[in-house]
Amino acid sequence: MTESNPARLPAIPPLVTMRFRPAWTYIDGIRDFGEFFCRTTFADSDVADRACVVIQETLENAIKYSSKDPDSELELVICASEKNIEFSVTSKPDNIHLDSLKLELDRLNHLNPEQAFISALERAQREPDASARLGLARMRYEGGVELRLAEEPDGRIRFTAAGKL
Amino acid sequence: MSSLQSISIPTVDSLTLDIQLPNRLKMGGRITHQEPGKVLGGFLKAVHDAAVRESLSTFELDVTELKFVNSSSIRLFLDWAGLVKAQAPNGYKLCILTTRKFTWQKTSFVAITALAAGCVEIRMAD
Repeated sequence: MTESNPARLPAIPPLVTMRFRPAWTYIDGIRDFGEFFCRTTFADSDVADRACVVIQETLENAIKYSSKDPDSELELVICASEKNIEFSVTSKPDNIHLDSLKLELDRLNHLNPEQAFISALERAQREPDASARLGLARMRYEGGVELRLAEEPDGRIRFTAAGKL
Repeated sequence: MSSLQSISIPTVDSLTLDIQLPNRLKMGGRITHQEPGKVLGGFLKAVHDAAVRESLSTFELDVTELKFVNSSSIRLFLDWAGLVKAQAPNGYKLCILTTRKFTWQKTSFVAITALAAGCVEIRMAD
């Protein structure tokens, strides 16, 4: 298993675990639940708003680029300690996407979140016919999280967004 | 009749669109479509073209009821800002009316405005 950022929460029981088929139609409901859950649990609208961005963008990416195998499945886990919160999504991606995800993460992690977001906007402006590719940069900037990727032996990946509460 | 009145307004789940004469578009709800450019890109371009045809000096985009958008939808606003910038200095100024209620608006629109300085400005409604 490889990790691009070793910093992570100590093993604590997840607050939320959801497993579901990778279908776009589920995103709104899961994001809304995540918002409700964070608003209720942490009594903080800022955390809830950030959760919306992180859940939306992680699920969109996972669903767009998941393998089309009939047994394909996503797992969303939300964990928190006293000061930190972590969202992770496990999926089985197609190989092309995995390589581009690694490259994009590497590129973003060399810039501060604001610079990375502006840079992603500029790229989207320069390449009007390409997909926007704003999601990861948006998560870091608006969601206030750091991103890391772990590859599992079974070909699945765990994409984690971790930030402060 | 204003060119804005003749624009066909698309129907998009969970999104409301209201053209208010003489120079305003109000958006409400959410945009989380997988390909928002396909359903809204043409509409926003038509609004831009109409604003240019009408020789408007400013056009107001009211997003105070727009609760959430995905990153693909941020591109819609980025593209609109690009159209306005390309028209400068002979076009109109795009004024985006935002709210503090929704955190995403501050970060996204400030960044977009930075890329179209002088052509796009943000106003806070609250």
